[in-house]
Amino acid sequence: MYKILKSKLFLCLLFFVPIAIYSQQITGTVTDGVTNMPLVGANVIVKGTTTGTITDFDGKFSIKVNSLPATLVFSSIGFTTLEEKLTTARVVNVTLQESATALDEIIISGLASSVKRTNAANSVASISSERLSGVTPPQTLDGALAGKFTGALVTSNSGAPGGGMSVKLRGVTSINGNSQPLYIIDGVYIDNSSISSGGLNTVSGAASGGNPSSQDNATNRIADINPDDIANVEILKGASASAIYGSRGAAGVIIITTKKGKSGKTNINFSQSVGFNEVINLQGQRNWTAALAESEFGEGALYTAAEAAGTLRDYEKEIFGEKGFISNTSVSMSGGSDKTTFYGGLTRNQEDGIVKRTGYDKTSLRLNVDHKFTDNIKLSMVSNYINSSADRGFFNNDNTGTTLGVALTSTRPWDYLLPDANGNYPDHPNNSSNPLQTRDLMTNNETTKRFITGGTLDINLYKGDKSDLQFVAKAGSDHYTLTSTVIFPKELQFMRPDQGGVNGVSAITNTTNTNANYSAFLVHNYRTDDDISFTTQAGVTNEQFSQNVVRVVASDLIASETNVDQAANQAVNQFRLEQEDFGFFVQESVNYQDKLIATLGIRGDKSTNNGDINELFYYPKGSLAANLHNFDFWGDNETINRLKPRIAYGEAGTFAAFGSLFTIYGSTGIDGNVGIVVPTIRGNAAISPERQSELEFGFDAGFLNDKISLEFTYYKKQVDDLLLNANIAPSTGYVNEWVNAGTLENKGLEIGINVNAIESEDFSWDTGISWYKNKSEMTKLNVPTFNLGGFGNSLGQFQIEEGKSVTQIVGTTGPGTPVSVLGDAEPDFQVSFTNKLVYKDFTMSFLWHWKQGGDNINLSKLLSDFGGTSADFDDFDVDPAGLIRNGDYRIDNGLNAGNAKPFVEDASYLRLREIGLYYSLPKENLDKWFNGIVSNVKIGLSGNNLINIFDYNSYDPEVSNFGGNGLSTGVEVTPFPSSKRYMFHLSAQF
Amino acid sequence: MKITIKIYLLIFTIGVWSFTSCTLEGGESLNGASTSSISDDLSRGELPQAISGVLSDMRDRLNTQIDVQCILGREYYYFTNSDPRFEGDVVNGNLDDNTFYTTAPWGSRYAAIKDINLALTGLENTTADFSEEEKAAIRGVLNTLKANELLTVANNQYTNGIRIDVVDPDNLGPFVGYTEALAAINDLLTTAASDLASGGTSFPFSLTTGYEGFDTPAGFLEFNKGLNARVEAYRGNYTNVRSLLGDSFMDMTGNLNKGVYHTFSLSGADQANPLFIALNQEANVRVAHTSFTDDALANDSRVDKVVLRDSPREASDLVGTHDVWIYKSNIDAVPLIRNEELILLYAEANMVSSPADAVAAIDVIRNAAGVGPYLGLQTPAALEDEILFQRRYSLFGEGHRWIDMRRFDRLDELPKDRVADKIPDAIPVPANENK
Repeated sequence: MYKILKSKLFLCLLFFVPIAIYSQQITGTVTDGVTNMPLVGANVIVKGTTTGTITDFDGKFSIKVNSLPATLVFSSIGFTTLEEKLTTARVVNVTLQESATALDEIIISGLASSVKRTNAANSVASISSERLSGVTPPQTLDGALAGKFTGALVTSNSGAPGGGMSVKLRGVTSINGNSQPLYIIDGVYIDNSSISSGGLNTVSGAASGGNPSSQDNATNRIADINPDDIANVEILKGASASAIYGSRGAAGVIIITTKKGKSGKTNINFSQSVGFNEVINLQGQRNWTAALAESEFGEGALYTAAEAAGTLRDYEKEIFGEKGFISNTSVSMSGGSDKTTFYGGLTRNQEDGIVKRTGYDKTSLRLNVDHKFTDNIKLSMVSNYINSSADRGFFNNDNTGTTLGVALTSTRPWDYLLPDANGNYPDHPNNSSNPLQTRDLMTNNETTKRFITGGTLDINLYKGDKSDLQFVAKAGSDHYTLTSTVIFPKELQFMRPDQGGVNGVSAITNTTNTNANYSAFLVHNYRTDDDISFTTQAGVTNEQFSQNVVRVVASDLIASETNVDQAANQAVNQFRLEQEDFGFFVQESVNYQDKLIATLGIRGDKSTNNGDINELFYYPKGSLAANLHNFDFWGDNETINRLKPRIAYGEAGTFAAFGSLFTIYGSTGIDGNVGIVVPTIRGNAAISPERQSELEFGFDAGFLNDKISLEFTYYKKQVDDLLLNANIAPSTGYVNEWVNAGTLENKGLEIGINVNAIESEDFSWDTGISWYKNKSEMTKLNVPTFNLGGFGNSLGQFQIEEGKSVTQIVGTTGPGTPVSVLGDAEPDFQVSFTNKLVYKDFTMSFLWHWKQGGDNINLSKLLSDFGGTSADFDDFDVDPAGLIRNGDYRIDNGLNAGNAKPFVEDASYLRLREIGLYYSLPKENLDKWFNGIVSNVKIGLSGNNLINIFDYNSYDPEVSNFGGNGLSTGVEVTPFPSSKRYMFHLSAQF
Repeated sequence: MKITIKIYLLIFTIGVWSFTSCTLEGGESLNGASTSSISDDLSRGELPQAISGVLSDMRDRLNTQIDVQCILGREYYYFTNSDPRFEGDVVNGNLDDNTFYTTAPWGSRYAAIKDINLALTGLENTTADFSEEEKAAIRGVLNTLKANELLTVANNQYTNGIRIDVVDPDNLGPFVGYTEALAAINDLLTTAASDLASGGTSFPFSLTTGYEGFDTPAGFLEFNKGLNARVEAYRGNYTNVRSLLGDSFMDMTGNLNKGVYHTFSLSGADQANPLFIALNQEANVRVAHTSFTDDALANDSRVDKVVLRDSPREASDLVGTHDVWIYKSNIDAVPLIRNEELILLYAEANMVSSPADAVAAIDVIRNAAGVGPYLGLQTPAALEDEILFQRRYSLFGEGHRWIDMRRFDRLDELPKDRVADKIPDAIPVPANENK
């Protein structure tokens, strides 16, 4: 068929062109302004008609124009759209320049359709590959998002290699439900679970202190994704944009598109970065003297002896003072014929942590293939294999004095902890564990093997003059096995039976996770004669989720064996999740001459996770954008060349956590008998998804021919039927109960200004500043006020209370005082400031990120006060009266007086998140040296978090003992400190 | 053409799939048995698992339970590098109503009560072939254990009150004061006793080795009576105490450690003894209050319950020189009730009505401890002092001291080491009870 078509076309050309009377065949070439290479696949449309074509392999096009004069519109993703007026038939050669303002990019508006940014009614953030990872290579994908778009609070939970991030879009959207956005890569639903490893809590006892949350900071699995493969990231921040994702859309959706090949010459890109990281902010030592050691511990003599022997040691530096080596190697290939294109990439990231024996090693292999069966049938396949391994050390809260962080709080400079020549470590004289021994002998590793694959089939069923019908089918799967290995050898101080230990712990956690998603859509376009176009789409989706986690914790190990059967005792725990969702959606968009663009749509969803598994929940959406500048009355206004007011409304949901329908017995053992015990959480068979409704409005404007562009957005979103793991009277035998009970509201403002400040032959400067804030309120609560996250009123905790901020931190302020508000985790506002300066062949980019306000609960200092080791113990700046030493004040006037005030601290920061300076070797030189084989050679230097300014009294205000989900971020208990990175880069294209 | 046909076939397939996938199946709980599987119909096979669950849950957070009682009674201090509130809030008496030392003992005991109530409801609804004797025996055991749990909560909460009726989570019974709670617990034990008495000769389930000698309806009844004797002593009904003790496992000449125990092991899903800490630790220690060694009689063998540390352990101006050394491994059993307590209850029940019997009982204890017979006055006041003293040493570290001093209105005699320290007479009601 293909051949026949082609010959027909050829015949047509042959016969019709010469004899056409009214119609003219226009030909020409489109060139890429950046590379001066032919631009393949650019759109060419005759303005005001539906006639269009795309450029071929050599950037050439040929199009029929019915009457002259006419205007040809040239566009391509990532390039500025160009219009060319024709009065007579001629060869049209144009060059498209890279788009600076990204106004011309296409953004996704439906599950199977897209819209030009200039016509969008939502503020959809978009981050190009260059902004994502082009300035400096990010450690993880989610980490690379921080500060790069408005409306988000991206926080890293700790500095441990392998990530662990919390991403919150437009405020807290759920209290106990999922509050992390949905990640979709090339149409595949990506799992972002954090799976805690068995064995850590067994040793640390962190969760036996009354807090059910996992406190050992597992990686969230989006960290597996390689940022180098990504072409573009789009962020749907709330229900008004994400309604089409139904019950999974409420926390926002992050849509990631990976790189595709372009037909033409096969390009090979090679890049290598090397560098190192180091701790941002060591806390330092108390100013020890023999007298202080004597008064504090009665160990003045030991101090003097150690001083004389030269064995006084800064153990904080010993543990956190390493410079971790970083190496990123990436090779990618792209190219193809006019029918088949491919992109293949291989990346290896290696990074050592700032603590010995920690680090991250990831290999990612990608192959994306696009194939055109015919002009009407396209298939694209993506596949990605990832192998990652993270050694994360042993940090955060514990109740046994065993984590490195807690052990350090009791370690004084004169404690001698170094091993002898045979590797025997002395017992810590002042603690149950020797942190050097723990660091050197324990293992906490997460290894993932992950395969992500997806395909999209795109068929033009019908193509007419005024209408066309398209069929799109997508399928994808994300499968991984995660093996977490935790080993505490029997040599460790706290493992030895004479110290009350259990003679070694070895634990293995195996997780198999498979997500599969399928969808099919029909998209119908219809254009009227007066240029009103209608796009109708309808489709069905099906998503399946399956997870199986088996944890085996063995104790009393045989010899130095670590297999879990080589031990006296084994405890096994299994968690399974099987969920299937089914949804359909219908959407209608109307575009009136690019002047008014309206969309209406509805999604229906059901899930095996709901009380009634076949009940459909409906999520509507509607939006309107008006391009005022396209109306005739606007005229040619150079000052305000573009103004688009827009408004959008949508609803989306969040599913209840798996299993929340049921009250299920836990299993236990006693004296060789198996037993069943009531769980802490009471299920609720009537639980339903929570529902977010968001109204967003604002405007986009362009001034001075888009030299300055402004985006202003206000949103108000309300979450009803909040899923609460609410406290219930514990005399019921349960602690919590799942209920739909309450409403919260987020209101916010997002302002972004981009200025193309200078644009000259040799120098250009693009800058952008954005300011955004969010304010939340618990507008209704149908259950009594309750607390979560944190360690009780005397140390500060979060409190869900009607009429108050959702993220308020409360506590008592003295013996018998009532609970009062001490802070709020929500920032007052955030500002990000991006700059890109290009001078000849030099490019410098940097990103400042300022978070103003937002409080943390900082308990690290209190723990080191108890150990008498806080660096600021002898200062006087915590006591408002300035009379009592900080250490004494935090203990006596803080904790012991039931006063949580000293622990709630402002977590504002200003940081230079990214900076990069690159030099591109001039093309002429390269051609001369390498005979045209090598092009685009770039060398550069970059850094991450190089400047950090904050008042916060610990390593970093970005921290979370309880991981990323829900409210409980910003609680600090002796974390893995964060680091800064310095990198050198070299890249070239062959 | 071929490709087109294939494509249309594909579209057709996808279309068919789309519509057939409309109805969802599944939605099951995958990770455990629903609680209603027990309460709707308790089967013969489920019964031992339900009982084991109760026995296991009764140990949950036993450390927090006993640590708080022992700190309040100034038996020992618990210092831990990781949680300063044991030396803060608990010692200085600023007890918060929403912190683990308040909520964990309460919640864990009520969880065990929930296990019991689910099994009792299941027994009422059972379609299994349990005989009336078997049913009575099961009820007798479950209600005795329930009484033990309620008593533990009531002892902590004192006049702040507890809930007795907690069967329906959506409709909890009222709070009742200490007096009323003890009366209800006494009733429960009395009913359980008559059930046990008509419970045949053996149980249709097995208990743990901690119930050795008490694992038949008749044996368990002796435990029930002993427990009830404790309740009646707390209520001051000494006549009842004497008769209950007569039916209990009290044995003036027997092993003082005879009794009912929580057992522990390291295997599988079992728990380790949470009250065990090796000697001379630094990060986590239980150190005896200095008055325990200071006030001890010469040669009292019970002082072996503490061991002199290599170096004293200090925390926030508190100090301990001796490690508590009652449990010497992480699988040692922890008593619910022992013969030693029963003998001292017997002494107490006789101290006014029959001082000579009281002294005889006291001497059993004194002789066992190696401190010789009691030679003091036989007035009620003197005997009260003596009995409290003996209870302090005999039951050290088992959480009795605070309750004993409270019931004789002598809490103010307990030592307070720091100026701001206080000894509260009750634990606050957890905030989430919304009392």
